[in-house]
Amino acid sequence: MSEQYYKALNSLMRSNVTEDMITFLCGCTNQVIKTVTTSETKYPSPPNSPDNEKFSNDNLPSLSRFIKKLVRYTNVYTPTLLTTAVYLRRLKAVLPRDATGVPSTTHRIFLACLILSAKNHNDSSPLNKHWTKYTDGLFTLEDVNLMERQLLQLLNWNMVVQQEELIDTMQSLIKPIISKSRQNNMISNVYKMPRNESYSSNMSSSSTLVGSQADLRRLKEPIMEEPQLSSSTRTGWNLEQVMSRYGF
Amino acid sequence: MSSQFKQLEKLGNGTYATVYKGLNKTTGVYVALKEVKLDSEEGTPSTAIREISLMKELKHENIVRLYDVIHTENKLTLVFEYMDNDLKKYMDSLTVGNSPQGLELHLVKYFQWQLLEGLAFCHANKILNRDLKPQNLLINKKGQLKLGDFGLARAFGIPVNTFSSEVVTLWYRAPDVLMGSRTYTTSIDIWSCGCILAEMITGKPLFPGTNDEEQLKLIFEMMGMPTEATWPGVSQLPKYAASSASFQQQHPNAALQGPKDLKELLQVNCKEKLDDVVINLLHGLLQLNPDMRLSAKQALHHTWFAEYYQRPTN
Repeated sequence: MSEQYYKALNSLMRSNVTEDMITFLCGCTNQVIKTVTTSETKYPSPPNSPDNEKFSNDNLPSLSRFIKKLVRYTNVYTPTLLTTAVYLRRLKAVLPRDATGVPSTTHRIFLACLILSAKNHNDSSPLNKHWTKYTDGLFTLEDVNLMERQLLQLLNWNMVVQQEELIDTMQSLIKPIISKSRQNNMISNVYKMPRNESYSSNMSSSSTLVGSQADLRRLKEPIMEEPQLSSSTRTGWNLEQVMSRYGF
Repeated sequence: MSSQFKQLEKLGNGTYATVYKGLNKTTGVYVALKEVKLDSEEGTPSTAIREISLMKELKHENIVRLYDVIHTENKLTLVFEYMDNDLKKYMDSLTVGNSPQGLELHLVKYFQWQLLEGLAFCHANKILNRDLKPQNLLINKKGQLKLGDFGLARAFGIPVNTFSSEVVTLWYRAPDVLMGSRTYTTSIDIWSCGCILAEMITGKPLFPGTNDEEQLKLIFEMMGMPTEATWPGVSQLPKYAASSASFQQQHPNAALQGPKDLKELLQVNCKEKLDDVVINLLHGLLQLNPDMRLSAKQALHHTWFAEYYQRPTN
């Protein structure tokens, strides 16, 4: 795989959470399993709801809303969020092709993937009782514990992720960065200045994607969890300063 | 617990679990059963998730083998290869009266070689152990040594992870991590290897601090206080200024701030005569500047190990 893919992956991982990412993850989740009922049509005429569905379709937020809420509550790092796409793809590969679920199944699947991604990739992460709270009453602690355990078993504890797999899974988010980076090569001199000054050399010019869309985490007050993080670990924030300084 | 295993005596408490000896009733083979009691508020502990997912991939003769995982609602059991002892207990058993004894140097060399072999394999697979210490090095009657606890281990090298500086048991924690670095890499494990090598030689922990500050003080007293000249970038570490100030205060005489003679210090507690070759290796592992430390692979090629890699192959 060529260098530019790794660079674009780095750039993607350092940017803030965007609408595009949420849309992408909804797509990944919906591909894992078919849900049965009419919940996705605009005016559902409620059929015989399955017995194990505890809430009416009215209470179930759309998957996109559900993911956005989790992002806001947890202030999750972009890489932790995006890695769920790899787990979703692995899950799809092990489930029978005709597997079906109830409408909340997609929510469960996504939440379980996010919990495992957070636990695997960060030295400190929320407990399941906290995750339960973040679902706003949609799931109980027992539900959350069960979905986590089931996902671990389905994925056979295979939680290690390689760069190549990340790149392959996130083609649709990475390709625009690469083509944008090509366009920007003409004005790359502008970026070299701040980069050589004090910013991480890993930062590629394709990072212009950052800030081009609404930053979902910003909708809430910014939480300064780790004010001591060096510029190399939190380039996303510094980059925006740089960009505003240079009038982008 | 699956009825496949018979639970025998308790072997000890790990970082987050209790370990029992077990017997596989079908095969008659002994195993180590690491039992993790699940707390419903936490769910599956992240330590267990990482240990299992990483150890499933690490198949090497100097890394203890994970055979199976049994996951129920209340309990998680990891089935490991059985080892007779750990290095800490073994060294404790050699104590005469109140004075600890080092291992014979040929055994020190064999253990250190195996430790570095196992670690080199982890690093080649982009895994940091982050908790190397004698308790976590398992040994058996054949003289084999295996890395045995991956509760703090992490994958590295992908732009996905965040790291904490609260890793590695204090006595074996590298100075860069003690000063708050979160950008550490494989060198974090190499420092621990250096501490373990010195401890095997003398039977005593090299830097037995009781808190972060004292730990740094002990390290600087022996290895010298790092400066921007000896370690570019050190002054940017979160806790450098504070530790440097308190060190200067306690040691106002600059002449006494330099590194001490490691050979002299270790020789006091070692019956055999130490040569410069092993001290040279020790210095390579215990460089204050993480970028200057040897890699596990480089250390395996150190002259001290010549008898292993130059072994005639008939």
